[in-house]
Amino acid sequence: MTGTVRRTGPAPFDMLRASRAGRGTTRTRRVSVLAAAVFVLFAVHARAQTPADTAAAAFKDDVHAAAGLTCVACHTSGVAGAYAAPARTSVAPLCARCHSDAAFMRRFDPQVRIDQFLQYQTSTHGRRMAAGETRVATCTDCHSAHGVRRVTDPRSPVAPLNVTMTCARCHGDPVRMKAFGREATPPADWAASVHAAALLKRGDTSAPTCAACHGSHGATPPGVTAVANVCAQCHLREAELFRASPKKAIFDALGEAECLVCHRNHRIEPPSDARVGLQAGAVCADCHDDSGESAMTIKQVRLDLDRLSAAVSDADALLARAEQAGRPVDEGRLALQAAREHQVQSRALVHAFAVAPFSKTAEEGLGAARRAREAGDAAMREWRVRRTGLGVATLLVLGFLATLWFTIRRLPDPPPG
Amino acid sequence: MGARARAWLEERVPLADVVDALRHKRVPHHRYSVWYYFGGMTLFLFGIQVGTGALLLLYYRPSATEAYESVQFIVTRVPFGWLVRSIHAWSSNLMVGCAVAHLFSVLFLHAYRRPRELTWVTGLILLLLTLAFGFTGYLLPWNQISFFATRVGTDIAASVPGVGHGLVRFLRGGNDVTGATLTRLFGFHVAILPAIATALVGLHLLLVQRHGMSVPPSVERDAAGSPGTVRSIPFLPHFILRDLFAWTATLAALAALSTFYPQELGIKADPFAPAPAGIRPEWYFLWAFEALKHVPATIAGINGEFVAVAVMGTGAAAALALPFLVPQTPTGHRVLVWLGVAALAFMGGMTALALTGGAP
Amino acid sequence: MTSMEKGPGRRSLLNWLLGLWGGGVLGSVAYPVARYLAPPDIPEAATLSVGAGSARALAPNSGRVVPFGSRPAIVVRTPAGELRAFSATCTHLDCTVQYRPDLQRIWCACHNGQYDLNGRNVAGPPPRPLDSYDVNLNGDEIVIVRRS
Repeated sequence: MTGTVRRTGPAPFDMLRASRAGRGTTRTRRVSVLAAAVFVLFAVHARAQTPADTAAAAFKDDVHAAAGLTCVACHTSGVAGAYAAPARTSVAPLCARCHSDAAFMRRFDPQVRIDQFLQYQTSTHGRRMAAGETRVATCTDCHSAHGVRRVTDPRSPVAPLNVTMTCARCHGDPVRMKAFGREATPPADWAASVHAAALLKRGDTSAPTCAACHGSHGATPPGVTAVANVCAQCHLREAELFRASPKKAIFDALGEAECLVCHRNHRIEPPSDARVGLQAGAVCADCHDDSGESAMTIKQVRLDLDRLSAAVSDADALLARAEQAGRPVDEGRLALQAAREHQVQSRALVHAFAVAPFSKTAEEGLGAARRAREAGDAAMREWRVRRTGLGVATLLVLGFLATLWFTIRRLPDPPPG
Repeated sequence: MGARARAWLEERVPLADVVDALRHKRVPHHRYSVWYYFGGMTLFLFGIQVGTGALLLLYYRPSATEAYESVQFIVTRVPFGWLVRSIHAWSSNLMVGCAVAHLFSVLFLHAYRRPRELTWVTGLILLLLTLAFGFTGYLLPWNQISFFATRVGTDIAASVPGVGHGLVRFLRGGNDVTGATLTRLFGFHVAILPAIATALVGLHLLLVQRHGMSVPPSVERDAAGSPGTVRSIPFLPHFILRDLFAWTATLAALAALSTFYPQELGIKADPFAPAPAGIRPEWYFLWAFEALKHVPATIAGINGEFVAVAVMGTGAAAALALPFLVPQTPTGHRVLVWLGVAALAFMGGMTALALTGGAP
Repeated sequence: MTSMEKGPGRRSLLNWLLGLWGGGVLGSVAYPVARYLAPPDIPEAATLSVGAGSARALAPNSGRVVPFGSRPAIVVRTPAGELRAFSATCTHLDCTVQYRPDLQRIWCACHNGQYDLNGRNVAGPPPRPLDSYDVNLNGDEIVIVRRS
């Protein structure tokens, strides 16, 4: 019978437990799935006899195998029976033999790009490899050698959800990075960023991973002047506002990397109103002190942000109360939506670093929040009407009860039955 | 004029002897007679339920896509819709309370004795029907809490041996709680259960009228062997006016409760959402809900849930057959009173436990 | 309790009073019920469909934002003259989108998110397409219907 219970739905106690445990269980489940996957990988690995068998097994699922290529396409010496691995320095040129040949590649995909090798040669990886440093990445390090898959295939090591782990294999390894005088922190920093949250928690595959800012085949740290262009790929509005602001010239003169001054690079945290201002923890305070016109501007912007935020959450709470009381507040919700929209816009307008355009939007937002509040207040006034009605009815009932009581008292004594 | 009209009516609807009987009907009047009013109160609340339920039917739509929206429409857009819905919900709670009070007063005053055994049986079935009304009505607003409570509640039926799975399917109209369950429970709530309940209420009332009100053994003993000396009052108007008093006061209480504590609608049920924290059934099922939580997974090698359901089933069956089981002796009565007190204490304790420690 | 009080005058006054108060109680029951029975101003919940104004007034290559319950919806007439409707809440944050005739796209002012005329997110930060609604014509009135 227990089996039936489990099949038709969670038993009462399971439900209770699940409701208490909350989200913890899904995470545990995900970890155990990962562990199982690793185990299976190991098992597959253990069953394979030799490196050649492993390679042959992996190649069965390779995009090149699907295109009709065989081992000897890359292992040119293989015709003689020796499948030696190509030297690391010759891997990229080997791939480029086909992948840089437009006429050849067109046969497989009319729109395929053929500039990967060119880009690679300009990348830090490619330049060092050309100089004979074989510890840097080449094609096969990211794409794998025998199980190459399309980027759109979620099993590919360079698919959006996997690419940071692929980069982190080297760039998150302090030992490897020390040899090049580099920190191994960027992958972990990125994992704590708002971008990682967008990708991994919200499943937003347009969120940037390593390659979005550094490029893939031409991977290089963007220069100071190029950073804003990188961010503007997505944050166009903020970038436009920033470029039109007085900050642009000042940062250029100081040689500061635009966006990064306030938002830093890999560990980009979710923006919050608390970052604006002159108090401890606010990014403006890194450069500005509490004097001069700029301090006035900063304080004004922060004040408006706080007022708007408070107005929006107040109105939201009031509308929620009205809804709980069963009052229709659709108009209020629409006004609140407008207020939220202005809040989002005013937060973007912070990047104009001036009071004027920001305050106008913030004021509009406050106005919309006020309208939402009024709608909520009107709905709550209904309460008083209800209570008055109840009062009248209760009065009538009490009068009736009192009279009834008298009537019962005054009934002739019952004759004995 | 009046006399002629009355004669005309009497010829077509001959009720003179019934009215006459009512006029001569008398109700015992003694120190416990206040408990008699709970029966009438339950009947009044049943009437309120029928009335408000009929009103709700005008706007309610029994489908998963529209149920929540239609209830929302009732409480937000329909004038006094909030009042009608809240009274329906509050009245159902008071009705369960009154029915339970009625049951225990009958138990403690030993009113189930011969020849009123069948009155007891019909009354107990009516109480179970009231609970069934509560259970089926709970899902109808199709909100998150009621959705999950219904899922848990129907799941308990699965521990019945042999037919458990079929029973769950019968209750849910499928393997899981879906829109089909909603339509099905709606049908139970507004057609099948009311039909059965109305017939049983008729039978129950008929029996009460034929037998008259029971006089507790202790009052009879005090009247010391000389029968007919127990004080009584006429049903009309003395008793009925007192009933009217209680009913009007209840109506005022319902209106006040509905205004100050209107029923909340919550958020719409999402079958794919994780179970929300604090799912709990209606308060009158809380004791059973809490008791089930404390049952170990297995008792003597048998599924614990099954044991608990079996115990409750046996309890219900024993309660139904109670008039035939209790020996009509002072000792038998005393044992029964203590059993009743123990049952009340158990339910009260479990409810208190659920209210204080049970909530996550 | 003197014999005076029990007199017939006293009794009939009490009965008369009882009837008066009782009438008040019945009235306070009947009034809500009557109001409840009268059809409400809006005959049914507007959660599944909503009117979105005149179809003729919506020129090709233009759009109109209308309330749909407590959220906005956008009706667009494509340059080819076809009517389409989407949720007007940007899938990135909570901003309301608008139609940009110059881009021939649905555009969100907050972060420059863009959707094509099928509601697909084609530029900027929006992670998902806009939810689309069905469009029906009731004479000249555009009716947007949520797909259930």
